[in-house]
Amino acid sequence: MAAQADLDRLWPLKDVAAIVGVGETDYAADYRTARGEATATGSGGGDSYVLAARAFRRALDDAGLEKGDIDGLCVGGPLAHERIAELLGLNPRWSSGGDAPRSVIDAVQAIQAGLCTTVACVYGNAQRSANVQYGGPQAMGGGGILSYVYYAPWGLTSQGALYALMFKRHQLVYGTTEEQLAAIPVALRKHATLNPNAIMRERPMTTEDYLNARYIVEPLRLFDYCLVNDGGVALIVQRADLARERRHEPVLVSGFGWSELSVDATQLRPRIKDFYFPAHHDVVAQVYPMAGVTQDDIDVYATYDSFSVHLLFTLEGFGFCGEGESGAFIQDGRIEVGGELPCNTSGGMLSESYMQSWNQQVELVRQLRGGLGDRQVEGAEVAQYAHDVAGKCMSLIYTKGG
Amino acid sequence: MATQRPPRVMDPYAERFWEFTGQRELRLQRCTECDRFRWPPGPICDSCLSEDYDWSEVSGRGTLLTWVTYRRPYFPEYPAPHTVIMVELDEGPLFVTQPHELETGGLRDGLAMELDWLDGEDQYGEYQLPVFRPAG
Repeated sequence: MAAQADLDRLWPLKDVAAIVGVGETDYAADYRTARGEATATGSGGGDSYVLAARAFRRALDDAGLEKGDIDGLCVGGPLAHERIAELLGLNPRWSSGGDAPRSVIDAVQAIQAGLCTTVACVYGNAQRSANVQYGGPQAMGGGGILSYVYYAPWGLTSQGALYALMFKRHQLVYGTTEEQLAAIPVALRKHATLNPNAIMRERPMTTEDYLNARYIVEPLRLFDYCLVNDGGVALIVQRADLARERRHEPVLVSGFGWSELSVDATQLRPRIKDFYFPAHHDVVAQVYPMAGVTQDDIDVYATYDSFSVHLLFTLEGFGFCGEGESGAFIQDGRIEVGGELPCNTSGGMLSESYMQSWNQQVELVRQLRGGLGDRQVEGAEVAQYAHDVAGKCMSLIYTKGG
Repeated sequence: MATQRPPRVMDPYAERFWEFTGQRELRLQRCTECDRFRWPPGPICDSCLSEDYDWSEVSGRGTLLTWVTYRRPYFPEYPAPHTVIMVELDEGPLFVTQPHELETGGLRDGLAMELDWLDGEDQYGEYQLPVFRPAG
């Protein structure tokens, strides 16, 4: 990295915008239809655009906004930018795209710059129906310099294997055990059983169930892997002064940070040697000062969880516990609703749906709005999302607008 | 006939790398301006941006850093169980490879490893695959 982030320039972006609307498709129904089962509300024939449009409509309704109020657009997932704008009937004044944290961060900057006031961030992905492969001969991204494609001659393939290599290294360096890791999928499954929109809402899981499940790439087991699914998510980000007139209490974007580790990525050095900690630390130096909070103030936390082990690495890298201590930290219900640091309270991508960072934003917004019943984190006022994907580390801190 | 393996990623740099392995030589690009080794092969030095390099033979020695065992098969050429390891070469680069003459029960953090070769074949032809066994 060239230099420390310029906090004097970052601070003015605090609380500039809020998330005023959220929408999701019906994940459990999407899951069944993607497997060929008929449902009333499942995905629209494996079409990413229909899924995105459905979520967008719900987000508008949730915000109490009309389509004509939207003047900015962020596009996520496999959607073609021009086509989704055309289908949604939008002529935005500004647009961007990428994963959820990038979209929210970009939207805040565009709003602060006066380029737009109300940004729709839309994501739709019929990856299950399309049979998108994240490993093996038909792996997504094949042909390029993608580490798990490059090493195919030796038999290395799949995203999961990269995280298995990381976890094995964590075990060797710090003594973390598979029994300790079990606490993550078990906690997230428990959360899913409290979430009516989670795929696994009716499938409770014990530590024993987890440990008895088959290995995929040892040391990771079946339930360390996310649920690849069809689905759509939309978020509406609006200038904070306008946000006060919306249907729900606004959820302010109070802090963010961004840092990437790409040098020697194909060698897997940032993963295996560093567990991405230098990127985490750089983000820590931005996101908490910007929001004016510390780790102790976080009431509810979510991390990207395509694999359970993401949570170990971000808890350490973001300073919720010491390096190598996450295995012990996550025990005894600490990361469950009712615990000290409830994590991925929707069930996350392991047990709600693999919506590639988008569903986590929706959940944090809902937790700060309140009223989630048994799943509600009591008195939640500050929520954090930590994103740690292929060297791209980002974080967002949301606060209750009130 | 050589052992069938999943396809290599080919570009002009990789092609040269694999040509050397045909003679059982493990050569990596080394920047002739700043001496940095790079792997996988590519067009420029990420440290000094120089396009000048030579193919420098490495010692073939390193230490074991981490490993995984496939319990679910992904490639028809590699039925489960199949183990993949990462070796940190003495020259610096991290090298994904296979263990040779080493049972999974013998895998240890920091184990000294040395280069060996297995035959391989894919759509681009026959080649030698660099693998690692415990140092003798």
